[in-house]
This record gives sequence, structure tokens and C-alpha cells, in this order.
Amino acid sequence: MSEPAPPPSAAWYVYGVVSATTQPEGTGIGARPVELVPEGDVAALVSVVPADEFGEASLLERLNDRSWLERTAREHEDTLERALARTTVVPFRLCTVYESREHVVEFLSAHGPALAGLLQRLEGRIELGVKAYFAGAAAPEPDEPQSGREYLLRRQREREAAEEAARFKSEFAQASHEVLAAAAEEARANPPQPPELSGRADEMLLNGAYLVRRDDGRLAEAVAELESRFGPRGVTYELTGPWPPYNFVPPEVVGT
Amino acid sequence: MTSVPERPLEQQITLLELIDRVLNKGVVLTGDVTLSVADVDLVYVGLRVLLASVGTLERLGE
Repeated sequence: MSEPAPPPSAAWYVYGVVSATTQPEGTGIGARPVELVPEGDVAALVSVVPADEFGEASLLERLNDRSWLERTAREHEDTLERALARTTVVPFRLCTVYESREHVVEFLSAHGPALAGLLQRLEGRIELGVKAYFAGAAAPEPDEPQSGREYLLRRQREREAAEEAARFKSEFAQASHEVLAAAAEEARANPPQPPELSGRADEMLLNGAYLVRRDDGRLAEAVAELESRFGPRGVTYELTGPWPPYNFVPPEVVGT
Repeated sequence: MTSVPERPLEQQITLLELIDRVLNKGVVLTGDVTLSVADVDLVYVGLRVLLASVGTLERLGE
């Protein structure tokens, strides 16, 4: 063992899993170098971090510190995106930390075949996100009705417009997801975010994630097609990515 | 054929967009891991409130 021994307070932060032939590059959490812990065909992308910063007690506190969370989330994401630009990535959730390099190796060894299978399934794939927002029904007619009969007719028109908007709302999100899913290999519809989180006045009705081949432009074409179809009715689409395939890895790997 | 836009690293990804993935998705380890955010749902509730209030303040400030 020619490697210098890490300080006793060190912990191993795991960004994700890649193939063992990947060359680690750049820096990650806290500007610390990104390293590779290989075992068989797979490897963990890691950084050695101070254990006290990532200890259980301080972690809970730090996750609620907006600036720490934002910086850490971006460092995690940037590290995975740098790897994604060159190779296939199994992204791990933020703040997955082991107490020793040996524990990382044990994990890779115990789950090697499953991880290798996952890398194979995801090879050459990226995740794209599509959100759709609906501006809502048209505003009520502004001028005062001239007669009782006109008032009643107007009320009826408004009621019909509201019903039509509700029908449209329930249909366009499903229709959009189906069109997008047909242009992707796998698709997930996540719960739409409420306006106080999305930061937009328009109602979010689709929060989808799509797994596509890196060089496949069909999803972007499908978004453009949906825009021309539903845009005139007050729908806007937002395409994000390429993302590491966060939505297409099993949420849980139970350890030994 | 339209190709997928290459996202430059400096592009502004909203914090929420990012958090929604890095805290809610991706492989979670339980059992043999020293520490993970498997219990983060509780934290995320607090975070949602925090983000929402920051967003509201920013909107009010405009």
C-alpha cells in the first residue's frame, strides 16, 4: 500500500457508480479531488471528505442550511454531469457517505452484478425533464351585461368555459406524457409541484422524466410538436437536461 | 433532426429543479452505508417551506 493513510476523521462521499475503466476528473464536494474506487467491472466515484462535516448530527443541520445545501447539491450534480459527458453513470442520492474505503469496496463487491447490469441498461442514455404549465381559463367578460337574459347567457358561457378548461386540464397532461413517452425508452410522471415551489403563477400539470439515447433528438421534437398543438390553448413546456438518470435507477439498494 | 441541447455547466438550473432530483431520486443505500439521506423526507419538508418562503420573498422584492 503506497497510498498515504487518510486522516482518522475521513469519510467517503459516493457520487455514483461508473465502469471501472472511467478516468476520474476534477473536483467535487468542497473542491476535493474526485477519485475512483474500483472493484471488478464497476467503480464508485468518490471524494474523501471530513467525517465531522458529514456526521449524522451535523448533516441534518446542514441540509437545512440553504447555502450549504445549494453548494453541495451543485457540486454533487456537476461531478456527475462531468462523468455523464464521457461515460454512463448510476447517480446516487445526495450525501451518501461511508466511513472507510473498505466499506465502499464491500458495497461494490456485494452488488457488483446488479450495478454492472444497471450500467449496461443505461449505457449511452441520459435523462431529460419536461414540465408543462397551464395558464388557466380565459378571463370573464369585463363589461356589464345589458339585460337579465344576457346575464344568464353569460353565466352559462362562463360555466361551459370552466368545464371545458377542467376537461382540457385533465386531458392535455396525460396526452402530453403519452406523446413524450412514445419518444423515449422509459418515462416517469412525477407529481406536479405546487406554484409556491415552481415559482410560477401558471399551474404545473406535468412533471415528467424521460430516458433517451444521448444522440436521439425525438424528445425535443415531441416537445416542439406539443407546443404547436397545445401552446395556443395556454400551455407552455419546459425542457431540461441532459441529467444523470436519477429517475431511472432503483430507489433503494439494500445493503448487506 | 433536432438534437438535444447541450447544457453548459454554468447554465442556471434552479435550486429546486436540482434538489428535486438529488434529494428525491437516485440510488439510496440502506443497511451497509454509514450515512445517507434515507430519512431526508422530514428534512425535505422543512426545505420545501424554506424554498417556498425564499421564493415568495424574492417575488415580493421584484
